[in-house]
Amino acid sequence: MINVLHLTHAYRQAPWRIQRQWTGAFLVGALILAMISALYLDVTAQAAILGREIQYLQADTIEVQHANADLQTRLATLLSKSNMDARARALGYRPSEQGEIHYVIVRGYSHASGVNLAAVNPPVSVTVTPPEYTQSLLDWIADYLSTPAAGLAANTVP
Amino acid sequence: MKEFSMRREYGWRSLVVAALLPFFALTILAQMIRIQVSPEAADFRDQSDNFAMVKRTFYPERGEIYDRHGHLLAGNETVYTVGVNMPDVVSVDTLARDISGHLGLDYQETYDKLLNPYGLVFVPIANFVDGEKIASLKDAAEQTAKTSAAEFRPSPLSGLEFHPTLQRSYPENALAANIIGFFNRNQRGNFGVEEKYNDLLAGTPVEAWVPQDPNRAAEIPYVPNGTSLILTIDRDLQAAVEGLLDQAMTDYGAQNGTIIVMNPRNGEIMAMATTPRLNLNEFWTYGDSFDQSYEFNPAISMQYEPGSVFKVLTMAAGLDTGIITPNTPFYDSGSIIVGDVLIQNWDRRPWGPQDMIGCLQHSLNVCHAWISTTLGKETFYDYMNRFGIGRPTGVDLAGEAPGRLKVPGDADWYPVDLGTNAFGQGVAVSPIQMMMAASAIANGGYMVTPHVLYGMVSEGRQININMEPAGMPIRMETAYTLSQMLAISLENEASLALVPGYRVAGKTGTAEIPVNGYYDSSQTNVSFIGWGPVDDPQFMIYVWLNRPSVSIWANDTAAPLFSDVAQQTVILLNIPPDSIRQQAAQP
Repeated sequence: MINVLHLTHAYRQAPWRIQRQWTGAFLVGALILAMISALYLDVTAQAAILGREIQYLQADTIEVQHANADLQTRLATLLSKSNMDARARALGYRPSEQGEIHYVIVRGYSHASGVNLAAVNPPVSVTVTPPEYTQSLLDWIADYLSTPAAGLAANTVP
Repeated sequence: MKEFSMRREYGWRSLVVAALLPFFALTILAQMIRIQVSPEAADFRDQSDNFAMVKRTFYPERGEIYDRHGHLLAGNETVYTVGVNMPDVVSVDTLARDISGHLGLDYQETYDKLLNPYGLVFVPIANFVDGEKIASLKDAAEQTAKTSAAEFRPSPLSGLEFHPTLQRSYPENALAANIIGFFNRNQRGNFGVEEKYNDLLAGTPVEAWVPQDPNRAAEIPYVPNGTSLILTIDRDLQAAVEGLLDQAMTDYGAQNGTIIVMNPRNGEIMAMATTPRLNLNEFWTYGDSFDQSYEFNPAISMQYEPGSVFKVLTMAAGLDTGIITPNTPFYDSGSIIVGDVLIQNWDRRPWGPQDMIGCLQHSLNVCHAWISTTLGKETFYDYMNRFGIGRPTGVDLAGEAPGRLKVPGDADWYPVDLGTNAFGQGVAVSPIQMMMAASAIANGGYMVTPHVLYGMVSEGRQININMEPAGMPIRMETAYTLSQMLAISLENEASLALVPGYRVAGKTGTAEIPVNGYYDSSQTNVSFIGWGPVDDPQFMIYVWLNRPSVSIWANDTAAPLFSDVAQQTVILLNIPPDSIRQQAAQP
């Protein structure tokens, strides 16, 4: 009996070693938790910064649209009929009258009629940003948990 | 032994503490879970969502309006609402003084608004302030903010805010005002194209929930701008015609007038001038110029007795049925009785033997009443109906008048109307209706729908409008014959309507205006409808003057005005004289 007890004592780890293992495990757990928290915090912070930037950019876009409209109208005012007439007269021009115009016949010539205001590159259809770029981690987990099959279905190749 | 006992006691205490801590932690966790899944939790989440998202309506930028050469006629510009965010206010007095000083407002009124905000968080002080006006106020606010920041105190102009918005702007002011209409501050198009195409121009507003939380950044929904419109109007021709009309008003002492220039081939209206005209950038002065809404654009809204210009339609009906030819003889005795009523010529005298060209040339009422009565009421009114008389033309401008054509069976139709209608009395038309009806004569029998829309631009793509003919009331041969007759009649009388170098066809009209139930020979509507070049019509012009005082006759007023407008038109539309055009057409 004594021999058995001695044997057990001989193979049993020292209490300080067990304590250190527990402490180590706890620290590893805490470290993992801290890393996940830090990662999450980083992602969240970046999302917040980008979100704010998007809001600023949206405001900038509206401001630029307004500036464009202003410039277009201002240009049209500068080129308005009354302004152009006044400038032409100031430069010594006057409207031509009948009898002052000489017509030259150019075979095969046909003047273009009407204006084309179509954009050179029409805007392409707007793509919708995938939710992965807009939702938070918690949102994604919540979505995934509510429809777990959706993620799998999306990757299913028929 | 004692040491062992104490250690044991500490051990127990430690165990109890160790057991209690997780217990508390678990209790807190359980409570958290309970709260999360409690029935109230959903309500709380809903409440938080209400604050997390705000519903916003995104309004598209209103589409622009261009003339046929791409000149901007209606655009947009930024204006501001100047107001104060009350929670940020530091000094009401300074705010009131600076705002009123820079914007030219009354100090006391501004001060009272800020002192008594009636619970408003944001108090608007001035709306629709243009950028130039607020520039000095903005500078002052920035300067004050800098100075205050350097002294570590809040700016006395704290709370001052500028909210931008877009407002309609018309770079050409009053040019083509009657065609364009205006867009008021209640976000509604009034008159003209602005009203007719309001839905297209306005686009479709988009409502969306926008997160307040930057973690949940969401895209602003794509809101395409309103559709831009390209009109058939030629800005330079419009300006020239308006100038000629204004000059004619002075020269002939008319009360108001209208000139329309249209392409008779396709119905494109290239100019439509009326008087008076509103500066569209000051649309709130509308009441100063107009008493009735139809005065805004009489070219489409004013209906009146057209007088002798209507005779071309009677003659067209007679020729088309074959009851007359250009050479049909007619002895003008100076009067004819229709429905027991005596009808006389405009000068109350007989013109003796005539042919149909003579009837047109001398504008004989008796001759045309004879044609209509010979046609019979069924045929005559059938033709008038084919010409669209008494119906709106469908011109794409708001506020068109339908006109009025009494027909047999109507309570107010009398047999004499068959005679008087033949020379444009007892019938009400608008200038645009006359244009549409007469287009059939200029355009080989095909009647066109007058319109001002050339094309639309949406999402960078342009769609041009092609209008189908509105009908064919007369045969091609009839149209050709009548055009020649009208051209000859103008040439025979050496009319002031003639255009050097161009052969034109047309007809004058002098209509006495009924006053208190009787025609007043001293007050007339004078008009002229004509087109050219006769062999290849490229313009059609309608001139109408109300109550000219210099002369009551269209020959002296409307006819020379037509010639002036036609001479400007051929220059601005690059239409060479007949001789050059015929030379160019030769192989």
